[in-house]
Amino acid sequence: MVVQILFFAAMKDYFPSQDRLELSESTNVRSLRETLAERKPEASSLLSLSRFAVNQTVVNDDHILQEGVVIAVLPPSSGG
Amino acid sequence: MSVLETFAHITFEPIPIPTKLPEIPEMGAFVFFSGIVRNVNEGKKVTHLEYEAYVPMANETIRRILSDAKEKWDLLHVDCTHRLGKLNISEIAVTVEVGSMHRAEAYAANRYIIDRVKHEVPIWKKEFYSDGSSEWSQGCSHEAEH
Repeated sequence: MVVQILFFAAMKDYFPSQDRLELSESTNVRSLRETLAERKPEASSLLSLSRFAVNQTVVNDDHILQEGVVIAVLPPSSGG
Repeated sequence: MSVLETFAHITFEPIPIPTKLPEIPEMGAFVFFSGIVRNVNEGKKVTHLEYEAYVPMANETIRRILSDAKEKWDLLHVDCTHRLGKLNISEIAVTVEVGSMHRAEAYAANRYIIDRVKHEVPIWKKEFYSDGSSEWSQGCSHEAEH
């Protein structure tokens, strides 16, 4: 299945700001986090601190990803 | 280009300091907070900042935080605006306004709102230093758990 993925802030040092990913069915957020860390080991500590949002809602690592969703990788916020 | 959307709590323009209070006869207290760009962070001289956001989610997260504050306290007025783009020293990055009958809930709610905005809203700051280098602010590691 295909999903969209968005990277922000420091994540853009490692990944394109927008991408499409081919994932196997019933992939959860945890295994996506691991896949991304394998692809860019230098991003793994930031990935472990980042929140993941699916269609603009923050989800936990057990969340199962569905075809067509928009996933955002959100490093720790630093607004204000 | 898609149609330009507007987001009530996000702006790319300078944020004005309110010169007029909301006209609410029951309001006895109004607390205004502004977060300002300062010229130093962790000992490094900062020349300016750039803020970026996941704009639709940032706007919606601020809206939800304001709504939660209204459920926790009896508030007559709440608002919060965060600026994005390039900001120079002494410019306003974020404002929080709270109006209520009495000062206690206005102070408490204002503090609650800015604390949650800093930790939860998908907005990020890039700092530019006087030596020409730049760096994304790391936030705090505990912030990832919120």
